[in-house]
Amino acid sequence: MNAIWLVALPLLGAFLLPIIYRRSTMLGYWTGPFILLVNLAIAFEIWRSITPEQGPHSIAMGGFKAPLGIVFYVDKLALLFIIMVVLGTLILWLGNKIGKIREETLLLLIVGGSCGLALSGDLFNIYVFYEIVAVASYGLAASRGTGAGYAASLRFLILSALGSSLLLLGIALIYAVTGTLNLSHLAELAPEHLNNTVGLVAFALMLIGLGVKAELFPINTWVPEVYATAPPRVSALLGGIISKLALLVILRFLVLIYADNTEAHLLLLNLGILGVISGELAALRATDLRQVLAYSSIAQLGLVAIAFAIPGPAGIMAGTALALHHAIVKPALFMFIEAWGGQLSRLAGAAKVSMLNSILFLVLTLSLVGIPPLPGFWAKLLLLKGALALENSWYIFAIAIVLIATVIETAYFIRIARLMFQHDKPEKPVSALESRELAPALALLGLLLFSALAVGPIGKSLTAVASEAADKNVYIEHTSPVFHESFKSSTKP
Amino acid sequence: MTIEETAWIYILSYSGALGLILLGIIGMVISRHLIRIILGLMLLEAGVNLFLITIGYRANGVAPILVDGQVPAAIMVDPIPQALVLTAIVIGVAVQALALALVVKTYKAYGTLDTQELAEKIAQESGTRIVDGIPVSLPVPATRQLVEEKSA
Amino acid sequence: MNLREITSLIFIFGLGFLLYAVLKTLPYGEIVTGIGPVILDRAPEEVGTANIVASVLLAYRGLDTLGELTVLFVAATAIGLVLGQRRPDTPYDPEAGFILRSAADLLFPFLIVVGAYIILHGHLTPGGGFQGGAILAAAFFIPLLASPASSLNHHVSSLIEGLAGAAFIIIGLIALFGKEYFLAPLFGTGEVGELFSAGSLPLLYLAVGLKVGAELAGLLARLSETEASD
Repeated sequence: MNAIWLVALPLLGAFLLPIIYRRSTMLGYWTGPFILLVNLAIAFEIWRSITPEQGPHSIAMGGFKAPLGIVFYVDKLALLFIIMVVLGTLILWLGNKIGKIREETLLLLIVGGSCGLALSGDLFNIYVFYEIVAVASYGLAASRGTGAGYAASLRFLILSALGSSLLLLGIALIYAVTGTLNLSHLAELAPEHLNNTVGLVAFALMLIGLGVKAELFPINTWVPEVYATAPPRVSALLGGIISKLALLVILRFLVLIYADNTEAHLLLLNLGILGVISGELAALRATDLRQVLAYSSIAQLGLVAIAFAIPGPAGIMAGTALALHHAIVKPALFMFIEAWGGQLSRLAGAAKVSMLNSILFLVLTLSLVGIPPLPGFWAKLLLLKGALALENSWYIFAIAIVLIATVIETAYFIRIARLMFQHDKPEKPVSALESRELAPALALLGLLLFSALAVGPIGKSLTAVASEAADKNVYIEHTSPVFHESFKSSTKP
Repeated sequence: MTIEETAWIYILSYSGALGLILLGIIGMVISRHLIRIILGLMLLEAGVNLFLITIGYRANGVAPILVDGQVPAAIMVDPIPQALVLTAIVIGVAVQALALALVVKTYKAYGTLDTQELAEKIAQESGTRIVDGIPVSLPVPATRQLVEEKSA
Repeated sequence: MNLREITSLIFIFGLGFLLYAVLKTLPYGEIVTGIGPVILDRAPEEVGTANIVASVLLAYRGLDTLGELTVLFVAATAIGLVLGQRRPDTPYDPEAGFILRSAADLLFPFLIVVGAYIILHGHLTPGGGFQGGAILAAAFFIPLLASPASSLNHHVSSLIEGLAGAAFIIIGLIALFGKEYFLAPLFGTGEVGELFSAGSLPLLYLAVGLKVGAELAGLLARLSETEASD
């Protein structure tokens, strides 16, 4: 199965969706979930077809060999993130009102753009798919229709467009120095051409560009406003799922182009540490559930950034585990916003209103903090083990920050839990979740518990995925079949 | 033209691009008027596009177009940055159009285009107060504390 | 805010200095490892367009062009979502004077011809789908500026937009079934410099031009129909 279907199908569906909707509303409503299901099936099929002997493969677009044409690199790490995006969007699609043509078009386009972003092996192609995801997210962030929503989305747009221009500037710098845009070709050229100031400046510029979506410090000022004013499903999608894709792209750059560049890794590490500190401290001060979730999201993404800044398979494994875990827990927590949003004091006595909701919330936050045997504990343990193995003082400092952050997280979540199980009720108590919000939350909880039970097999397959993705020679080797003869280096077979 | 003369083309073009980029970023950061911020964004994008195009220039190069089916005798400039800039310009236009639509809706909702006034109006609306640039929820009615703060 | 302005200015000057230092080290002229010269050599036989930039846009990096179309589509959809439908009772802006109205009516056929020429000759001369599409959009928008009461038919424009975009992807999928590669050029290369050359590339440019024209016209019409205050 050709992986291009993962991109072509959602785009085709999005282009035709307004026309289909005009024919029949029900047909239009079910087109979206149908396309997502087909995408999921294709992704699983391709996953199965990547055997350990054969390994990942590359697809040349248009039949033109790399680096003249664009190449898609299909490996298990990319497929893992694609499955996360498609499954997450599918779960968040449950219970959507019928007839919202434009929101559904934007959702399909975000999925198509994310699949392309994960698979692409060409710098400028990554930029184009990143822009698809970004512009769709501006539209979705403003989809609630309130004035505050427009202002927050505008602020997000301005910051993100600034970042995208800097990303393009970084790509231009790399092209100016090496003359090529293909990631595999750059992986070969990087040690001689990009291991200097130009390379580091290009990386910093690209990091700012991708960091807006990845909620890196200091370009994450858009997060609290957008999460407060966007519909909860959109915030769940943006913060829980799309941000991980931006981090995946940063990881690819680090592994392929900046493999031996310690300054690049340290830059990401420091930004991750700052994100964790600022996120947790702000969450401690927050008095509104939306803000707690927003700042906690920033902190968790800082953890993933720290994990990806650890060179080698251990870092990739920890980062992927943290990313997947957060992608399950945060959207589920965001389902609570509609009913439980607002002042934290309103949450008092929530257990009396609905015990099921309170227990659900409690389990999710326990996993977020990292209490065994829930998956969050394993993910954080992987991060600590990976950072400890490096014996670099900066990484030891990062471990200390992560531990302090866990303590702070426990503090404010215990505060919320105590409020929930209190006995007195405030004047305006919270209401129970409706079924259209409860269903996705329960589905995500099911996934979480399943992964808690299947920790062993999941760990083994994650190890395989990480070791495949961590070695840039694997990447170069598996893209060489689609390489043009005049560019193959003399050292290749 | 000799190599030294073509070097001046590069220098002027790169400096122009750098100047536009810096002007754009400065405009975006310092302005308080939404339209000026968007104009700064346009300058920034123009600067990046100019930078990208300059990369493709070759000394004494001609356009990469075959006239009468013949490859031109002189050296042709690099076609890749031209294709990249085409895409980047279209993407920039799309983002700017969306930005302007959002500005129109924000103006309809709040009646002002000044970022500081907007922040205060939004904060008042949601019952929060801006502390160190971060909105903080208030447990009491917003207006009373704002008045107290102004008089303090 | 003053502290923030000062720190931002310091950051910007630091960035400027850093970029200047970087620019001083950039190579002038040809790069040995670059792909530009190889494409310049191979494009005429492999793709067959006289305009090599068109061969880069549609053949070598056709997926980027598809992405670009998608970004425009996303922006148009998002603008439709943000601005919403036009309320039927809102008053139109007043009509422009006689000179502007007649000039707009006179310009309309010329703009259509120029736009169509640029789209169809995109693989021979500078131009192509996006540029021609923008001119087509202007052709439909200038009469709207002159007499705002004659509104654009949004149904037709969104129908053209969706179908043209789908046509681009479907041509790519046909290539996938026929030649095992998505967006591979079909129908051979023909003779360089003829109107009917370069295989399926003029068809792709036609789809791009129609899509961009319909999209930009609808976008501009929607922006002009929105009143600034309630």
